[in-house]
Amino acid sequence: MKGNTSLSKGSTLLRELGITALSIVLAFGISAFIVWAAGFSVSAVFINLWKGAFGGKLALGSTLTKSTPIILTSLSFLLAFRCGLFNIGAEGQLYIGAIVAAVVGAYIHLPAALHVVVCLLAGGLGGALWGWIPGYLKAKRGVNEFVSTMMLSYVAIGLTDYLVAPRGPLHDTKYWANQTIRIAPTAALPRIMKPTQVSMALIVAVFFALVVWYYLFRTPAGYELRGVGLSPPAAEYGGIRIERKLILALTLAGFLAGLAGTGEVLGTHFRFIGRFSPGYGWDGIAGGLIARAHPIGAIFAALLMGALRAGGMQVQRSGAAPGDIAAVIQGLVIFFIIAPTLIRVLIHWRKK
Amino acid sequence: MTTLGDIFTIQLLLATLRLASPIALIALGETFSERAGIINVGVEGTAVLGALVSALVGYFTGSPWIALIAAMVAGGLAGALHAVWCIRFRANHVVSGIGINILVAGLALFITSAVWGWRGTSASAPTLSTWYITGAAFLLVFASQIFLFRTKWGLRLRVVGEKPEAADTAGVNVHRTRYVYTILNGVLCGLAGAFFFNSVGRFTSGMVGGRGFIGIAAMVVGNYSPIGGLGAALLFGFIDALQMRLQGFIPSQFSIMLPYLLTVIALAFFIRKANVPAALGKHYIKQ
Repeated sequence: MKGNTSLSKGSTLLRELGITALSIVLAFGISAFIVWAAGFSVSAVFINLWKGAFGGKLALGSTLTKSTPIILTSLSFLLAFRCGLFNIGAEGQLYIGAIVAAVVGAYIHLPAALHVVVCLLAGGLGGALWGWIPGYLKAKRGVNEFVSTMMLSYVAIGLTDYLVAPRGPLHDTKYWANQTIRIAPTAALPRIMKPTQVSMALIVAVFFALVVWYYLFRTPAGYELRGVGLSPPAAEYGGIRIERKLILALTLAGFLAGLAGTGEVLGTHFRFIGRFSPGYGWDGIAGGLIARAHPIGAIFAALLMGALRAGGMQVQRSGAAPGDIAAVIQGLVIFFIIAPTLIRVLIHWRKK
Repeated sequence: MTTLGDIFTIQLLLATLRLASPIALIALGETFSERAGIINVGVEGTAVLGALVSALVGYFTGSPWIALIAAMVAGGLAGALHAVWCIRFRANHVVSGIGINILVAGLALFITSAVWGWRGTSASAPTLSTWYITGAAFLLVFASQIFLFRTKWGLRLRVVGEKPEAADTAGVNVHRTRYVYTILNGVLCGLAGAFFFNSVGRFTSGMVGGRGFIGIAAMVVGNYSPIGGLGAALLFGFIDALQMRLQGFIPSQFSIMLPYLLTVIALAFFIRKANVPAALGKHYIKQ
């Protein structure tokens, strides 16, 4: 895929933030119109959206729990994006990471602290493998990674479905549900905000946001990776081996998405449940774009996505409107954020 | 008890033709827009929109034909949105397409819940035979092959995607050409979406299930030509038809993933880079 991969060419941080804020406001405005046009109460929808996302400890816990995997999938998307690649297969990498972590967590016995670390690594590596395949195919065979990462997501979902289905090898025979047995207590990530489900996975996710930031902006390897994204010919002229960078970027992206699934297993569900993800992998695409491909921005973008998910559930429960209005808002935010000249054009119109 | 001999029948051939047609339509649409220089990965979401609008309009008007036209209009609007974003606002083409996919996915869940009360599923609505759409798809592919390589409009279209500066100098309106073919891409995807709706009689949110992306893969494997895209679509349609018949023999989870796996394999083995339009994905700024 060719295309200008820099979302932020020639912009200052302040302007970037301004455009992001304006995009979010515009998206909320248009969704208010949609809610009104569909015959629902605008105020009830937005009050419940807020209540579900930030109204009290339980709501905040729900937001943070949902934001945790999205931080990692957003990082997954943006890391590949910085190398000029589109990893839209985080969902599949997340599932592969999760199932590997669930197996290592349940069937291997290790001392407490070590077990968690081994599980995190194993889950990350599982996702990394699922990212390496499209990376290798891109570098060696020129296979469009956009299509291949997407296709491999379907394969990953089918594969894990099979493994935990009643006749599959990893099925927990005690229950009818499509799931594995519970992981050992030594493999669990502790809960840090009881009684909510927020776990240490959140700390892991934020830690990796810092790691990715450091890698991309403070190390020569990260500089080279971004170089490939900005201008492959210039990077090649500068002596960077592009093929290796492409493979590396998608492998690392897979690792981060794998970690997202691992965190869900070790910190939220304590087992692998078939199709447990409500779309955290896809949310990462939105998160990465809203963050304008900045790792620290990804934390806040994921928080927005998580808040929309938690708030959407409250909108649904309250009966004010279908909770999926949150997904509409998410789609609209992206639409405004991705058009570099849109906001400028709007301001220009107003001045006329 | 069925045997493998029962699988390879005339029904399999017919199912192949039928299932290939939406993929061929999407591949054809993408061929037009990419030949003009605009990448549109929003074809998946555009097909979902076409299916949704088919159900919605069919449900309220009772006419599957009005629903069909509405699906194509909706697809064209999605194409126009993408074109405005890519051309007027200079968005990254792939990113804008992703935006369409995410927005439509959200809208589909919201609208089905709001109208029918079921998340991601519509009530049943009147249908027409999908053979109309399949027939149209084959006719359109052959007509487009002639249009693209044997007419002056086809030549202009290709030049816009290869050398927009040259097209501009020769008096071809680059932006207008790109708008027209990106909208046409949307219309064809809307038609493909109508196929998915009409083959079931109701909308479900997973019904396109990646066939839009497979359509892009078919275009790549078919090397940016309408006939080539159809050939690749027939291959994918065959796999699709086969997987449905294999479900008694291998675990269904495996047969379902077959089309996706084979898409990746096909891309890895049939890769040819010769015909990628030179100005694909680049913004044209008039000097």
